[in-house]
Amino acid sequence: MKFYYFHLMPYVLDHDEPSSWVTFSNAHYDPAVGHTLYHQYLDQLEYAEHLGWDGICVNEHHQNCYGTMPSPNVMAAMLVRRTSRAKIAILGNGLPLRENPLRIAEEIAMLDVVSGGRIVSGFVRGIGAEYYSTAVNPTHSRERFYEAADLILRAWTEPGPFPFDGRFYRYPFVNPWPRPLQRPHPPVWCPSQGSSETVEWAAQRRFPYLMVFTPLKRIAQIYGEYREACQRHGYTASPYQLTVNLPIVVAENDRKAETIARRHAMWVYHVGLRMRPPYWQPPGYTTEASLRRLLATRGKMPTELTYEDLEDGGYIICGSPATVRDKLRVFSDELKAGIVCSGMNGGSHEATLEMMQLFSEEVMPHFREDAAVDETVGIGR
Amino acid sequence: MPAMTQIVVRDTPVDLLRDGSGPPLLFLHGAGAGGRWLTFQERLAARFDVVAPSHPGHGASPAAEWIEHISDLAFHYLDLLDTLGLARVHVVGASFGGWIAAELATMASPRLRSLTLIDPVGIKVEGWIYPFLFGMELPELVATVFHNPMSALALAPPDMSIDTLAILYRQNTALARVAWNPYLYNPLLRRRLARIATPTLLCWGAHDRLAPLVCAEAWRKEIPGAALRVFEASGHVPHLEEPDAVAAAVIEFCADRGEAR
Repeated sequence: MKFYYFHLMPYVLDHDEPSSWVTFSNAHYDPAVGHTLYHQYLDQLEYAEHLGWDGICVNEHHQNCYGTMPSPNVMAAMLVRRTSRAKIAILGNGLPLRENPLRIAEEIAMLDVVSGGRIVSGFVRGIGAEYYSTAVNPTHSRERFYEAADLILRAWTEPGPFPFDGRFYRYPFVNPWPRPLQRPHPPVWCPSQGSSETVEWAAQRRFPYLMVFTPLKRIAQIYGEYREACQRHGYTASPYQLTVNLPIVVAENDRKAETIARRHAMWVYHVGLRMRPPYWQPPGYTTEASLRRLLATRGKMPTELTYEDLEDGGYIICGSPATVRDKLRVFSDELKAGIVCSGMNGGSHEATLEMMQLFSEEVMPHFREDAAVDETVGIGR
Repeated sequence: MPAMTQIVVRDTPVDLLRDGSGPPLLFLHGAGAGGRWLTFQERLAARFDVVAPSHPGHGASPAAEWIEHISDLAFHYLDLLDTLGLARVHVVGASFGGWIAAELATMASPRLRSLTLIDPVGIKVEGWIYPFLFGMELPELVATVFHNPMSALALAPPDMSIDTLAILYRQNTALARVAWNPYLYNPLLRRRLARIATPTLLCWGAHDRLAPLVCAEAWRKEIPGAALRVFEASGHVPHLEEPDAVAAAVIEFCADRGEAR
């Protein structure tokens, strides 16, 4: 199994506002605190490479305290020159959120060339709230996503210049310099929460599917749908196409891990993901069929999840090294996920570094049957 | 309430309510009011043949993927008039429907006997930015749109079933397709309003918090000879909040021009 260290770069604070997104005033953001946080978070990502993680992940979110990385490519650029071995997974760029997605093709190509071909390029739509904060029309979201992805993939693989004439994006000359180093292009991942349209789209293109913050039961179901779709397209999914993103809390013993998780992992759900209901599903962001499915299952809102829900539902992995190993076995042996992306939060920078070290010494070595395999060969392209 | 009928306008199915007798009057509803036949329409039906279609994606009219821009809706209603064989009509549009009506009037003013715009959106007004309804939960939405919140009951959904919620989402989606950004206006419309040669009545709620009276002044300035009536007990939807008074104003305005029965 491969391990990627994931970061949201949250601006952790408590507040009573109805939403941590869109309308939560940036007057609450203290840039001096932000300065310290960014450096700690980047140190953690660099430390992950030092400890043996296979990859490090950044991602894109806008106008909130949950994740302060509006430009993941900027963060990736900082990491490229400070690391030398780990893959750098950019989970995502939010393609439809850009007015000029050719810029994404250019930026990823730059990063890929400078890093010597270590970039993984996530393609996402952005979550509902981001259509409020960028003003992009959510009814265009899916179509813009497909069109931008098509443009970027062609820009990476077809010799330029060529014209591109889409519904949303039009260029008389597509001819980005540089071209990416990896051939035919950097692996593309699809982080998603399980919409059947995205599953199908990713499977057809052999793009790994990454389940983000989803309960275990649903991961199993979506993985099943993804594998089926791969079969339908005439191939068997590699384990490295099945990726999961979930927080891991590890400590000397279960009790201590639970104490940390209750204090720090819950913040993500109860504060970080607190938002006004309309922000989850802006009009047209979801197809009517998907909306009906969602309404029929009526899962809890993140703010309604209790610690027990997270623990029992498999939203998080928490415990002593032995417990964490057992729980990870469910992902490696039963779900047959090939890559685990996980962030950690020990409550302070130093405690987080200690937790990372404990995990790298007591957990990771037990999952290294595939140490010699490059998880990106022939995957995601 | 008259029976719902379905017609097809250039391949686009439309659900239609129609009742009354007299000269034909096309009523274009606001967001969330598709498929409703309320006191306002009832009063107008005493003097007019009221034709009240639901916009595509609203009420029981299915969504139409080809509609990408507000002008598509205006052309759709010109097609609807052709389909129904109505050469000249009175047009009354409320809020979002007022925006469509204004677009239509800039295109085909001679086909309108009169134009009534009730708290329309659709133009950019200096010093005013429309509050973003798409981000609001129900209490805030009602407080923004209604002066008298009890009037909102007329538009309350029948239940919170999956079907009802899916219909509300479809309506919001149809609205967002043409109104998300630029939000609730067409940058090209304002200059074109001078083309409207039809007698025009602007009806406005004194307490409109979505498009306040400063907007009414802008519309009056742009449409040649437009008359303005202000309704003191109303917010954004005077035809729901003071239906008798607004219907009477429309009837009087048309009668003064010899256009009502």
